[in-house]
Amino acid sequence: MKVRTKAVAALAATIAAVIAVTGLVAGTGTAAQDQTVVKVALVTDTGGLNDKGFNTLAGAGLKAAQKTLGSKVETRIYITNTDAERTTNLQRAAQAGYQLVVANGVLFTYGPLDTVAPAFSDTKFLGIDVDLNAVKGKPQNIRGVQFREQEAGCLVGNIAALEVKRLAGPDIISAVGANKATAIVRFFAGYQFCAKRANPRVKVITQYANDPTFNDPAKCKATALSQIARGSKVVFQVAGGCGLGAIDAAKQKKVWAIGVDADQGFFGPHVLTSAMKGVQTAQYTASSQALLKLMASGKLKPPAK
Amino acid sequence: MSEQAPTPAQRSEPEASTVPARLALYQRAGGIVTPLVTTLIAFLIGGLVVLVLSGKNPLSTYKAIFNGTGLNWLFPWNATCSVRDPGNELCVNATNLQATLIYLTVLILTGLAVAFAFRCGLFNIGGQGQYIVGAVVGFQVGLWFDSMPAAPHILLAFVAAGLAGAFWAGIAGFLKATLGAHEVITTIMLNWIAYWAATYLINGGPLQDPVAEEAGAQVSRDIADSAKLPVIWGVQGLQGLHIGLFVALGALVAYSILVNRTTLGYEVRAVGFNPEAAAYGGISVARNYVLAMAISGAFAGMAGAMAPLGLSFHLTSTSIQTDSYIAFLGIAVALLGRNTAVGIFFAALLFAALQVGTRSANLDPDVFQPELANNLTQLIQGLIVLFVGAELLVLSVWQARKRLPRAGRTAVEP
Repeated sequence: MKVRTKAVAALAATIAAVIAVTGLVAGTGTAAQDQTVVKVALVTDTGGLNDKGFNTLAGAGLKAAQKTLGSKVETRIYITNTDAERTTNLQRAAQAGYQLVVANGVLFTYGPLDTVAPAFSDTKFLGIDVDLNAVKGKPQNIRGVQFREQEAGCLVGNIAALEVKRLAGPDIISAVGANKATAIVRFFAGYQFCAKRANPRVKVITQYANDPTFNDPAKCKATALSQIARGSKVVFQVAGGCGLGAIDAAKQKKVWAIGVDADQGFFGPHVLTSAMKGVQTAQYTASSQALLKLMASGKLKPPAK
Repeated sequence: MSEQAPTPAQRSEPEASTVPARLALYQRAGGIVTPLVTTLIAFLIGGLVVLVLSGKNPLSTYKAIFNGTGLNWLFPWNATCSVRDPGNELCVNATNLQATLIYLTVLILTGLAVAFAFRCGLFNIGGQGQYIVGAVVGFQVGLWFDSMPAAPHILLAFVAAGLAGAFWAGIAGFLKATLGAHEVITTIMLNWIAYWAATYLINGGPLQDPVAEEAGAQVSRDIADSAKLPVIWGVQGLQGLHIGLFVALGALVAYSILVNRTTLGYEVRAVGFNPEAAAYGGISVARNYVLAMAISGAFAGMAGAMAPLGLSFHLTSTSIQTDSYIAFLGIAVALLGRNTAVGIFFAALLFAALQVGTRSANLDPDVFQPELANNLTQLIQGLIVLFVGAELLVLSVWQARKRLPRAGRTAVEP
């Protein structure tokens, strides 16, 4: 349940956009091509389709796209269970004739995408969280999508700083990250910047819980508790499953918590807000632009059969 | 009464003092029939589960799994195909078979890692840790010495990985030999040490690729080209079959010779049967504990080097945390293969085929949902292990029953 979760709602829209556009391409072709189906495959990252985060929502997004666009679209999900399977799955999806293969995760950047994409030049690959500049050789048939986490961080930083101004005592807010992943660094940067801008007297504590797995709530809880002990009145969790510990700590010590990725208000009335909305808008714009560009430049060919 | 003539197993059974030794004895007692029956029953129950829970036809599911293993590639005769040919079914079969054989390579080695320790009466659950240590050291040697020619470089990487695994397992062997610390406990602890140490190395530690670190990816740099295993079938980088298979087959032969034809193997087996008797016979139990664990660890260490040298050419947090789980599958391979070289080969082939055949990439979602596919593999694997365990139970009950009436008879009959 990584920070990337927020990517997923956008992914659904993205895939829908892709398919809509490709559908259009197929539709405007010759009469013979009217019968064609657009084939889109999603290759999940490790953790399985039931990770209740990144992959689950990506799969749901693909299904939603399928539902909206109906029989003109054929979708398939490839589940990745091991490191080596990332390459296998990309390759199988391309071999099976899927025109657009969505690689869901940053680790596809190193190895899987740069070996498979050049071998299947007719297939288009879309990497979620993938920076095309980091892909070796920058193959022409890959596009990467990244997200502006700092914008969402900014929004909640603003709220947190104003809320702490209203409360009695020194103005201290904090944030707990799982590890130094880029997305978390971006969240922190936006959070800090906008908190200071809204309330120059505010002190912002940002800390990493050093949990590479994103899945150890105890670590984030300990980090959050120490921040609260130092006077923090708002704890922003940017740590996926680890961060649930931070939300718990806030509840226990009766301070505000801020959720991340999804609307985490369901954890209780102590959740002030969640860093999600702006991100999704930004992501949607960024990713659909990337895709429209892909459609315009690349020739997303209708399938052979 | 012919059944009263003691079989070798019965004769030595009371002497076997350690649990793994008894396990090994019962294992050998059943011949080849029991593992086959075990596997069949596991597949039958797996099929029932498929039928009851998903309503799918178990036969077509198994057929789809079989097709996914790529083993059907062996039957069509027009075998040439290019991997770059999208949508070519034959081609998919070829790449699937390559995947199965690569999986087989690693499973043989992790199976041997468990089997050799079993022969010495030790239960090596530390395959995962030895695998990880081997992966890290093999990778590091592959990264260094980039000016070396390919052949010695690859050899050096494998030797280093094997030695690293041997050292890691040797710690547990040493603790067992000197302090009597149980190897099950120590190897599990060593697993976690290796797991988290390697995770650190790749996540902020010195092995993480600085470029990838900026992108927040937990991945190392790539090894030197000279250390990349040559591919004998398929395309390098696209998971073609690499020469690691020969390393694994060589290890099988070495294992067989070592266990059956050398003094060391004899001593190891003697200690496995009964440490006290072996010690009485002048065999150093402590020395054999350390050696058996070290040799076991060497197999697991080489298994760990396969992925960074032959498949992905780097380490990721996933390859350390998730892929290393294959070492635990080695326990099932050794159990089902009854610790013999031939048995391990076929057991490893079965599990490799199951793993690859149920990958979501290979199973048609219309036949069986991909979300369930991997669970089905684990279910069948679990059943096989369970039945291997249950088979031991049945055998021991059987032997107890045979002893009981005999005792009764001597009391009643004149």
